[in-house]
Amino acid sequence: MNKVKVEICIGTPCYLMGARELIDEMQKLKKIYEDKIELKSLHCIEERCEKAPIVKVNGQIYEEVTYDKLQKVVKDKLSKL
Amino acid sequence: MAANTVSEIVKIKRKIYIELAKQVLNNKINERIDKIPYKIAKEDGDRYRCCVHKERAIIGERIKLALGFDPQLHKDETPADLLKKEGEEDCCDNIVNVIELACDSCPIDKYTVTDSCRNCVAHKCVNVCPVDAIVTIQNKAFIDQKKCIECGRCRQVCPYGAIHENVRPCVRACSVDALTSNSERKAKIDYSKCVDCGSCIQACPFGAISDSTDLVNVCRTIIDKDKKLTAMLAPSFVGQFGAKIQPEVIKSALKEIGFNDVIEVGLGADMVALEEGEELNEKISEGDFLLSSCCPSFKKTVNKHFPILNQKVSKTVSPMVKIAERIKETSDHETVFIGPCVSKKAESCNYSTVDYVLTFEELLCIIVASNMNLANYEQKEKMNDSSAHGRQFAYSGGLSAVMLDLLGEHINVVKGNGLDQCMELLKKIMKDEIEIDFMEGMACQGGCTGGPANLNKPQVTKKLVEIFAKKSEHKKADQNEKTA
Repeated sequence: MNKVKVEICIGTPCYLMGARELIDEMQKLKKIYEDKIELKSLHCIEERCEKAPIVKVNGQIYEEVTYDKLQKVVKDKLSKL
Repeated sequence: MAANTVSEIVKIKRKIYIELAKQVLNNKINERIDKIPYKIAKEDGDRYRCCVHKERAIIGERIKLALGFDPQLHKDETPADLLKKEGEEDCCDNIVNVIELACDSCPIDKYTVTDSCRNCVAHKCVNVCPVDAIVTIQNKAFIDQKKCIECGRCRQVCPYGAIHENVRPCVRACSVDALTSNSERKAKIDYSKCVDCGSCIQACPFGAISDSTDLVNVCRTIIDKDKKLTAMLAPSFVGQFGAKIQPEVIKSALKEIGFNDVIEVGLGADMVALEEGEELNEKISEGDFLLSSCCPSFKKTVNKHFPILNQKVSKTVSPMVKIAERIKETSDHETVFIGPCVSKKAESCNYSTVDYVLTFEELLCIIVASNMNLANYEQKEKMNDSSAHGRQFAYSGGLSAVMLDLLGEHINVVKGNGLDQCMELLKKIMKDEIEIDFMEGMACQGGCTGGPANLNKPQVTKKLVEIFAKKSEHKKADQNEKTA
């Protein structure tokens, strides 16, 4: 795999808990790392809504994601590409 | 105009609202209310205050506000006690409240010397100080706070920029100087000056200022089989629940979770446009001018800070009140206004036709509590209450564009975009420095799309509102037969 796949849930509970900002910030990161990040939005990830916002990175699920947490995970995966 | 950020403070507030709404909708609030602070602030969870007990105590204060009670007036009562006092809420007295327990008593020494001070030979700061408040101690300038009159001259002259200006975020955010502090240095709102704009709520990084809400009462009405409820969606609602969520989807989703009817406040705005247009015509023929009346914070600003201009404010009621009057005339429904606005909560207290006011944020918490995911919801109901004119009221410049469209390009219109600009313009008007026919005053930057309870970026919302306006069946308010 030569890309980091980031899937952000934009279902209503995740939207309310900041998913829109996560997408905005990831888009900024994507500009820096050009085509090394694949960004997608999903409508629900395994109904883990209680722990919103939910993000999948390379298939692994992360709960109660903050941008801080997410960029660390993504940068870590990028460094291992 | 910036989008509101979803900080940890905002998340906690939303979690409380979701939990409250869930328990009311499931009819379990009486037995569960005391457990909510424990569910949200767990022993092993993230901690922002000194201990989990303080965290929970603050959550308790927020619940009191969510029940419509001022936490300062009900210090000795628990949320469960207040739950029993349904109907005695004091939310109408003050909408914007300080949660003293959460206020961090930010330092109030306005100017302090930082480590960048080099104790230079010129010591301009010492020379410029008009009250001799600056001395050098241990090779560094020092400001005697007892003498300092906060003029800021030392800061201006320091070649190293070593003097730091410290202004509380709440104080800085307030355009009308309504924020002070009490003897314990806790934030205090001077309600004789406050115009309910909600800027301080957004600004406080400790979440110590919050607005009371009708959330619990709206949920009670939703589950009450004997009551019917109409949701009135403010023109800026488009895209607030996700840029891809279509307005028509929101309408049917709201009906599914228990609202009996959903109507665009844009129709009320159409009616206002026609009435205020006539009023303006009259004023112009008398050689007079008119100030807009749809933003309650702007109206309050005139009332509290420029009372001499009071009689210049349009007598036409706001779109919210207009549409609520229409609903009450034609049905036995209770009414709830849903918008990006804190100030509408205060405005509604003066009108018996508006039963409740929710923000977009509060409504979305109810939607989440109802286990509804709008991203997966596809059912659509027709939405054609408003003309393009009414929908345009959502953003700064919309109302004045409508006036020009209805009355002709010859009228002289100015726009106050945000409270600072409004204050500046009102000062000029008072001093006769500018000549106008009409002033559109919007307390929030960007207009309602930039409101304190918006959920999407104001510039995105504006674009989506414009698209929605283009889709209207009628272009102008006077073509919309529903206004009759």
